[in-house]
Amino acid sequence: MNDKAVLVIGGGVAGMQAAFDLAEAGIKVCLVERTLSVGGRMAQLDKTFPTNDCAICILAPKMMDCYRHENIEVLTLSEVIAIEGEIGSFKVKILRKSRFIDEDKCNGCGDCARVCPMGILNKFDMDLRVRSGAYIPFMQAVPLIYALDRDKCMRCGLCEVICGKDAIRYDQKPEIVERNVSAIIVAIGFDPLDPSGLTEYGYGKYDDVITALEFERLICAAGPTGGHVIRRDGKEVKRIAWIQCVGARDTRENRPYCCSVCCMHATKEAILTKEHYPEVETFILYTDLRCFGKGFQEYVNRAEDDYGVKYIRGKPGEIREKENKDLEIFYSPSSDKVEKMAVDMVVLSTALIPSEGVEALAEILGTELDEYKFFKLKDPYNPTETTRAGIFVAGYCQAPRDIPECIAHGSAAASRAMEIVLGGSYDRRA
Amino acid sequence: MKKVSDIIKGTKAYYCVDCGKCTSACPLSRFGDYSPDGLVERALLGLPVQPDLRIWSCLTCNRCKEVCTYGVEYPEFIRGIRSVALEEKESGVCAHGELFSLMKLFTFTHEREQKRLNWVSEDLKVSEKGDILYFTGCLPYFDLVFRDLGVNTVEIARSTVKILNKLGIAPVVMNNEVCCGHDLFWNGDIETFKKLASINIQNIKDTGAKKVIFSCPEGYRTFKLDYPDFFDFDFELVHISELLSEKIEEGKIELHQIDDKVTYHDSCRLGRHLGVYDAPRRVISEVATDFVEMESNRENSLCCGTSGWTNCDGISEEIRKERLKECTDAGAKIMVTSCPKCLIHFKCHMNNRKGEYGTEIVPFEVFVARAMGLV
Repeated sequence: MNDKAVLVIGGGVAGMQAAFDLAEAGIKVCLVERTLSVGGRMAQLDKTFPTNDCAICILAPKMMDCYRHENIEVLTLSEVIAIEGEIGSFKVKILRKSRFIDEDKCNGCGDCARVCPMGILNKFDMDLRVRSGAYIPFMQAVPLIYALDRDKCMRCGLCEVICGKDAIRYDQKPEIVERNVSAIIVAIGFDPLDPSGLTEYGYGKYDDVITALEFERLICAAGPTGGHVIRRDGKEVKRIAWIQCVGARDTRENRPYCCSVCCMHATKEAILTKEHYPEVETFILYTDLRCFGKGFQEYVNRAEDDYGVKYIRGKPGEIREKENKDLEIFYSPSSDKVEKMAVDMVVLSTALIPSEGVEALAEILGTELDEYKFFKLKDPYNPTETTRAGIFVAGYCQAPRDIPECIAHGSAAASRAMEIVLGGSYDRRA
Repeated sequence: MKKVSDIIKGTKAYYCVDCGKCTSACPLSRFGDYSPDGLVERALLGLPVQPDLRIWSCLTCNRCKEVCTYGVEYPEFIRGIRSVALEEKESGVCAHGELFSLMKLFTFTHEREQKRLNWVSEDLKVSEKGDILYFTGCLPYFDLVFRDLGVNTVEIARSTVKILNKLGIAPVVMNNEVCCGHDLFWNGDIETFKKLASINIQNIKDTGAKKVIFSCPEGYRTFKLDYPDFFDFDFELVHISELLSEKIEEGKIELHQIDDKVTYHDSCRLGRHLGVYDAPRRVISEVATDFVEMESNRENSLCCGTSGWTNCDGISEEIRKERLKECTDAGAKIMVTSCPKCLIHFKCHMNNRKGEYGTEIVPFEVFVARAMGLV
């Protein structure tokens, strides 16, 4: 790979879009992804708002397009550990962690996964499903190459025996590769906040207080329950309440920002629930509904009028589990008295926060972060330009935004990186 | 004169979006007609709030502040509004007659010699000057007022000194100590509060103490968070639970274990106001092999139902009943509490319902002194 290439960090929807746009323009791209598969957070979603399109159905072809593109080199299970140089000629060191399976030999048959005796909670399924010690994170994972979880592996040897391709490499060592690129695009997305610190909601204490991303896995037909929304004790759910702004718009932990997507994804999850189970009652307890995007207000109207989703203004102050496992929510809709509502599942629309490791990466890249640890822009008129020349940012890691906006941002970052590669007028803009 | 608009500004009440989270967490709202955000909204609209008698009901327990995601300091808002109301000659109803005026009397120190140290019996080692001082607080006075409830508040002071003696400390105790001013401060009487504070600080400085130990959470809060806003001092402030927790870590303390189920009631001042949750638990669980938590605990704790002796009413009683129910549900035989007022309020409730409750309420210091074989 020569200097006329671009490095994209993060294989989510923003990073893939950037990589694909560059590749289609004839520019070589190295796409570095930390996990086993490209796809990012969108791959975990069941549907997308406000159209209720199947998320993985839109995403999987994009993932394949990216992976198969002759101009894109996808490095999964990899992390950028150092960069040298400057705009126009960066030298990047990338740590390729071991899959313990020979990537060239594995054909994705899954025999290793079937024989492996280990049971490990699958992070992709928000720890709601057990996977094998030899695994791919989800069915549509790209590349379709298995990996061994050597932290838990007992090295019993079964996978080695069964593998018809002789691809198991228990002692595979990580390697460091170098790439020379003209520009870098950071698109590392977000993590959902762990709400157990917000003790008034009882997450982690009560079984059926879950997060929106956990709910997304539950309602997904390919998810751990095959799309059945059930309580931890296996019972069908009759009444579900979503609580908005959990940890977001919250000054207590310096997170006063709005996460921008939760009003809509709660609406989506309530609609999906109603489509699966028309008899289930759904409530959304919100602070104020932020339906600012195209088709958003119509989506909420449809949820109310056509599906009977009930919107209640009020942020609950406490949730308590009753003896029958029902969850009692205390809220104050009219601001002069407290009301109680019993439901059997509470879904927390948790804040979305910059990904784990963002500070370390910013340090490596020599870029600044803002006070909430989102990547800082050099100025608002260059919406993809970080504080370091030649390094661009796309997607949620710059600021809260939804999927279409992340895609647009990815394209925008690609076009700016293109200027550098093609020797354009980048410098004159500064 | 302080204006409501200044109070709104100073307590960030303008951030309120009327989401109702405070109201749904407030212990008063749970049992009666009360709404923190309702009052804030009225103030924001420019409507008068100080004549509303409900401003005196607020427990200032910080539950609302703890859950508020917008940073509104409602207890401080209420304190400010009470100041405004006081200037307009409005005030809350002290549930115990002339207690407030008694506190004010202390400000005329030269005219009144106290006999504050009558509780210091022969077996206690105390000093007049020294590095470590024990700020006793209102315990000797509470003993006189609430003895009929079967509470023995001087026992708390005696236990504290015994514990300190055992640790090789003969603390300074002051006969000229005055009320810390907590209740007056929270009921809006800032001027009297400042007088009391300046007397205490001067008297402590005169003893040469470098470290002040508290058993009372209210006194501790007041010295730690409020005095520094008005006065400078450089002595260190420590709660007895923090000191003991440290000594346990150092292995310098021997405690007899008990098998009874024990729980701990967080007082609003030590808990939510100061964030001291772990130290008392560390000490209690060293004694009680079967330490249990009540359904609401730490930052979510239900409180004792009254603060600053103001507006104790039916709602306060409901809160106590609920808290004691939580205690019963947890199966606790002993409920340890750090605050003498919590002790008084729970004992009062239990005294009116003889035989209904099987729990013994034990002050933290007495609980520890027992485990050390000192009482």
